Amino acid sequence: MDVILLGEKLSKWYQMGEVRVNALRNVSFEVLQGEFIVVLGPSGSGKSTMLNIIGGMDSVSEGELYYRGQPLHSVAEKALTLYRRNTVGFIFQFYNLMPNLTAYENVALAVEIADSPLPIEEVLEDVGLGERAEHFPSQMSGGEQQRVAVARAIAKNPEILLCDEPTGALDFETGVQVLRLLKKFNQKYKKTVMVITHNAGIAEMADRVFVMKDGKLAQIRRIENPVSPDEVSW
Amino acid sequence: MLWRKLLRDLKDNKAAYIACVVVIGIGLMVFTFSAIVLENLQAAKDDFYRDYNFADGFIRVRGIPDAEINRIKQIEGVAYLEGRLVKDVRVLLPGKDESIFLRLVSTVPGEREGLNRVQMLKGEEPDGRSRDLVVAPDFFAANELNLGDILPVIAAGHIYDLRISGVGQSPEFVYALRTAQDIYPNPETFGIAHVPLSVMRSIFQEGESYNDLVFSLNPGYSYEDVEARMKPRLERYGLESMYPKKDQVSEVILNQELDQMRGMVTTLPVLFLFVAAVILYILIKRMVEQQRGQIGTLKAFGYTNREILVHYISYAVIIGIAGGILGGLSGIWISFPLTELYKEFFSLPGLESHFSLKYMLADILMATSFSLVAGYFAGTDILKLQPAEAMRPPTPPEGGKTWLEQQQLYWNCLNIQGKMATRNIFRNKARAFFTMLGITFAFAMIATTWYFQAITEVMITDQFVKVQTHSAKVVFSSPQAKDAVVREIGRFPGVNRVEPVLEVPALLRHNWHEKGSVIMGLSQDSQMYNILTDSGEKLHPPSNGVLLSSRLAELLEVKQGDFIEIDSFYNGGKAVNVEVVDVVPQYLGVNAFMEIDALSALLKQSKMATSVLVDLEQDSLSALKDKYQDSERIAVVEDRGAMLATFNELMESYGYMIYVLAIFALITGFAVVYNSSIVSLSERQRELASLRVLGMSPGEVLQILTFEQWFISIFAMITGIPLTILLIKGMADSMNNDMFSIPFIVEFFPFIMAILGTAFFVVIAQWTINKKIHKLSMVEVLKERD
Repeated sequence: MDVILLGEKLSKWYQMGEVRVNALRNVSFEVLQGEFIVVLGPSGSGKSTMLNIIGGMDSVSEGELYYRGQPLHSVAEKALTLYRRNTVGFIFQFYNLMPNLTAYENVALAVEIADSPLPIEEVLEDVGLGERAEHFPSQMSGGEQQRVAVARAIAKNPEILLCDEPTGALDFETGVQVLRLLKKFNQKYKKTVMVITHNAGIAEMADRVFVMKDGKLAQIRRIENPVSPDEVSW
Repeated sequence: MLWRKLLRDLKDNKAAYIACVVVIGIGLMVFTFSAIVLENLQAAKDDFYRDYNFADGFIRVRGIPDAEINRIKQIEGVAYLEGRLVKDVRVLLPGKDESIFLRLVSTVPGEREGLNRVQMLKGEEPDGRSRDLVVAPDFFAANELNLGDILPVIAAGHIYDLRISGVGQSPEFVYALRTAQDIYPNPETFGIAHVPLSVMRSIFQEGESYNDLVFSLNPGYSYEDVEARMKPRLERYGLESMYPKKDQVSEVILNQELDQMRGMVTTLPVLFLFVAAVILYILIKRMVEQQRGQIGTLKAFGYTNREILVHYISYAVIIGIAGGILGGLSGIWISFPLTELYKEFFSLPGLESHFSLKYMLADILMATSFSLVAGYFAGTDILKLQPAEAMRPPTPPEGGKTWLEQQQLYWNCLNIQGKMATRNIFRNKARAFFTMLGITFAFAMIATTWYFQAITEVMITDQFVKVQTHSAKVVFSSPQAKDAVVREIGRFPGVNRVEPVLEVPALLRHNWHEKGSVIMGLSQDSQMYNILTDSGEKLHPPSNGVLLSSRLAELLEVKQGDFIEIDSFYNGGKAVNVEVVDVVPQYLGVNAFMEIDALSALLKQSKMATSVLVDLEQDSLSALKDKYQDSERIAVVEDRGAMLATFNELMESYGYMIYVLAIFALITGFAVVYNSSIVSLSERQRELASLRVLGMSPGEVLQILTFEQWFISIFAMITGIPLTILLIKGMADSMNNDMFSIPFIVEFFPFIMAILGTAFFVVIAQWTINKKIHKLSMVEVLKERD
């Protein structure tokens, strides 16, 4: 399989007043096309920073990052915007829906600027929200909101789906539903999915697990027989 | 989709945005109606002057024969010269006690090339064979006349019946004042009538001569060129006055009004738009800050910076367009009644308003560009953020103590709300500053409008209680021997005191400055006309030198001790030099003062008077009027009550304008405070909800916001005082003219009104915010991540 993402000695630090916070230290990795990767680690271990950098939302302080051989670490903001627009889909812990747009409109918002989007109705059906398309976020439960967020990310038909604690704010049942959607997208469209979580149970459904600690990639583990989302427990 | 988000965002915060639209609308409304009315007036004036040949020069002589006119016509530079008879007569209207006067101006029937031609509005032009006349429309309407009515007039001691054959207006009397000392046209008691020359001659038995000339210039010649050539030829016919078009009374007043409006068009709207831009900036900046997370998400999905910036600027642009449309439509709408109102002052036949697409578009364009700038500056900040950073809550504003906390005395007085509020102000310096600017502006607007209200009172009482204390003034048609008239009128029953006055129209010069004015000669011990200093001390009219009103001194750039040159037709065009002994304030009128006999002597005339001031018993007034008003030697008997009434009427018309402006200022102030509170509230929802959870009552929570506002408001009121003074001086400068000069006197009343007004809109704004705090759901707010 092709290498879709290549990170070499990535470091990221933030200057907070007089303190320098090292969020990422010397992280190197490879991600293959169609892989399902879970990034594990306690809070503050640098997971989100890594995801943000991979997603073109943040810049690296040092090191190199390539998407299909194209450098991402040295390009201008404009190129990163295009990368986010056409290549990446995001799912956040707190959904980040536009509060005054309906479910359908939230998806349409992302689709409008994408190159080869999937049909909005079909995606909403896929996430089981065909009936709720005209509801506003405030009229939906957390699980429903997160499914809208999943639909919004998937509908863009991105090469890489990045999910930051997608189940973090959800109860177990709803969380499993969301994981099922992610797995389905991964298998049906052969797209790369990266899920951040501090929930070790979820790791069992991945192809590979990245374990982060103190801003370092402490361990990469291969799961020989990934389980289905329904078998995951926490 | 972003458009839907935008529309729903606008809907969710409609009160705040509507307030902003209204402020923009008010500013543009003022701009639109003043610009349109200005344009209407200017266009009507230009058309009227052009189509009816407004003259370039005006001459008044005692009498000049026909033959001489033909010779003067040949003078180089004169295009056209016309002799006229101009005479004031008294009209005997049945059922009216007051003296009514008509100024009869001769016309040549059938003449199409003449100057100051009459535009016929109704009826027919007289043919000159019968005693017909054409009256001006304002006089016609004010006295409820009809075509065919007979007007009995007293001319040369006889009564003649003149028939109204038509109604018409000449460009010469657009603003018809009886004398240059009048302030306000009073069409009920004074009007213009145009009478065929043949009829005038037969009534006044004048023969082949004229007492008034008008002329036009050939292109390339200036009035001054022609004046120099003409003057020596006119001296021997008793030249009384000669002046160019720009000094003609009606033209002067029309131009003053146009200048005033031009000032209004350029200043007021800019102030309002500035405040609107400030409000918009605060609102959008806050929205951008509040929607950090949403912006981050949009960025994460690949929206470009430009797309996001355009989205946020669109809010401003929509508000701008809405404000522009509101201001344009309401301004155009108001321009109609306002133009009608101007018709009451200025008789310009073509004056009318119309829908103006040009101003509509200009309004929208102006509002949009203002909003664009405000939106751009408010929105541009967040774009610098990385998307990942945008999604994190903003770092808390810099901590640390503010300098006010060092002030132990102040700090120790505060409760916890006060301390929080004080810190908030210093952590959001820019917003606090802009809010303060907005309140300062509203405060100054209120204070300024009330100042003008108060000062007109002061000016009127000063003039009629302290300066002019006579009960009647008898004005002669020509100068009379002083001692004889004083003796004669002094003998009239009921008269307590008589003082002679000599009013000399003259040109005053100093270096290259020149100003036409009236020199008032008063008796040494004058009690019925008092010259007062700033401190109210009485000055005697000087025998050696003149006193100048401060405005006159300013215009001529003279100070005490300088010499000025006086040029009057009384001294036959030979200018005399005289020393300025002092400069005195004068609110109504612009005069120079001298002792009456010294003035006569200066002009090389015997002791004379042009009018007398009379103090008499109230019940003798009508007897005095009856006896003198029909006399040929007497032009008019003016009584004090009528003058006061005219003044009050004039001031009332300014009054309504003042109330309207004050209301606009209140709305603007409210919009500023309301929006800044909305912003504070939404920004600190979590903080305030947490306080509620800790057990504070809504009232105690509100205190944090109200403390902040009162703190800012008090500063704003203090800075508002110098701004008010600046505004008053600026507006007084643009309003001052030959009729009045508005003084600057320290008055507390306007500031008290402004403090009350400011307190009023702050309280109203807080009251609406209080309702929102009550609705604040603690659970929702704290659950939400912003």
